[in-house]
Amino acid sequence: MDDDMIFDPSLKKKKKKKTGFDMDAALASEQGESTSVEAPVESGDVDVPEDENLDLDNFGKKKKKKKKTFFNLEELESALPETTEEKPPAEEPEPQEEDLVDDLDLEIDFSKTKKKRRKKNLDELVAEEENNENQENAEDLHGDWVSTDRDYTYDELLERVFDIMREKNPGMVSGKKQKFIMRPPQVVRIGTKKTSFANFTEICKTLHRQPKHLLDFLLAELGTSGSVDGNSQLIIKGRFQQKQIENVLRRYIKEYVTCHTCRSPDTILQKDTRLFFLQCETCGSRCSVASIKSGFQAVTGKRAAIRAKIA
Amino acid sequence: MSIQNLNTFDPFADAIKSSEDDVQDGLVHVRIQQRNGRKTLTTVQGLSSEYDLKKIVRACKKEFACNGTVVEHPEYGEVLQLQGDQRENICQWLTKSGLVKPEQLKVHGF
Ligand SMILES: [Zn+2]
Repeated sequence: MDDDMIFDPSLKKKKKKKTGFDMDAALASEQGESTSVEAPVESGDVDVPEDENLDLDNFGKKKKKKKKTFFNLEELESALPETTEEKPPAEEPEPQEEDLVDDLDLEIDFSKTKKKRRKKNLDELVAEEENNENQENAEDLHGDWVSTDRDYTYDELLERVFDIMREKNPGMVSGKKQKFIMRPPQVVRIGTKKTSFANFTEICKTLHRQPKHLLDFLLAELGTSGSVDGNSQLIIKGRFQQKQIENVLRRYIKEYVTCHTCRSPDTILQKDTRLFFLQCETCGSRCSVASIKSGFQAVTGKRAAIRAKIA
Repeated sequence: MSIQNLNTFDPFADAIKSSEDDVQDGLVHVRIQQRNGRKTLTTVQGLSSEYDLKKIVRACKKEFACNGTVVEHPEYGEVLQLQGDQRENICQWLTKSGLVKPEQLKVHGF
């Protein structure tokens, strides 16, 4: 009913916005002769993700919508507890079962009114649990949403979530995160074909990472070869500027040093079977990180020389 | 019916899938390599084999005014190779033409 109302227009709107007409046009103009074969494949490929996006949107909307209706319902209920249309009479005779379920959920601490409304259908239970969680938050303040029928804006929701986070753990999401301070890489050209990364080992120490790991990453990203020499500086084949090395380092830190959840640099990189995991010492999160692969390497040297080497 | 919908859709499925892809790869890697002097080379690895790379390279060469070729690699399949630093160009082109979703692109290099 109400849900459908919301469902439909957004569906149409999305579709309209995205139907790949200019994509096809662009392709046609760019590729001229080649479009006829590829077109069906592409449109298929494009359509699928679109639907996914659509579902995601609508899912979010529905959930929000649900939350609101339940909220209103609950108010109603507390006002006149006997006459809710939603509650089937069959629910009353089996309070024991409900109690059992409630015991399982003790940690989440639902309020009594919510328990009363609970049904035995497992699907609905799950859905309700979500709603209840939302409700808990919704109860905080923000009364301006309760009685209206409008949709929340993204900004409102974002502000709200940050308000809640700040309230629940002061200091953690203060917005001013500890900055990661590191000395910049010292990068010097050696002759015309090589570059020295002089404080490579020192940087590995500040980052608490194995030199080999950082080395693998640097070389894979730069698409070149290199090694650490006797003075513990890294010699890289090719000409690179400090700024460029800095860029790669920044990406390394983002992927392999700072926690993906809380951005704390206090982390440990562990190898587990074939994958690397980043274990955070601050928030305890653990997630897998991309493995380092140089991937395809084009032949850039003199082919004659390579052939000679193989032969 | 809406409740049914809520249950069948896992909001985290995407996240899980993409992190797996990240490790095992379902990505299109755009890399840069230095050649002699200040010349560079851009490689595009991981394009779907359903696409005709020869046609793509022909279009790209024209669009970016650079030379290019398709290299067959035993492990990585067909790889696109373009002269110069075409990373920006190729990323834009691939997403604009709808061949690759922006989140599938992984750009390497400095
Ligand atoms: Zn953390």
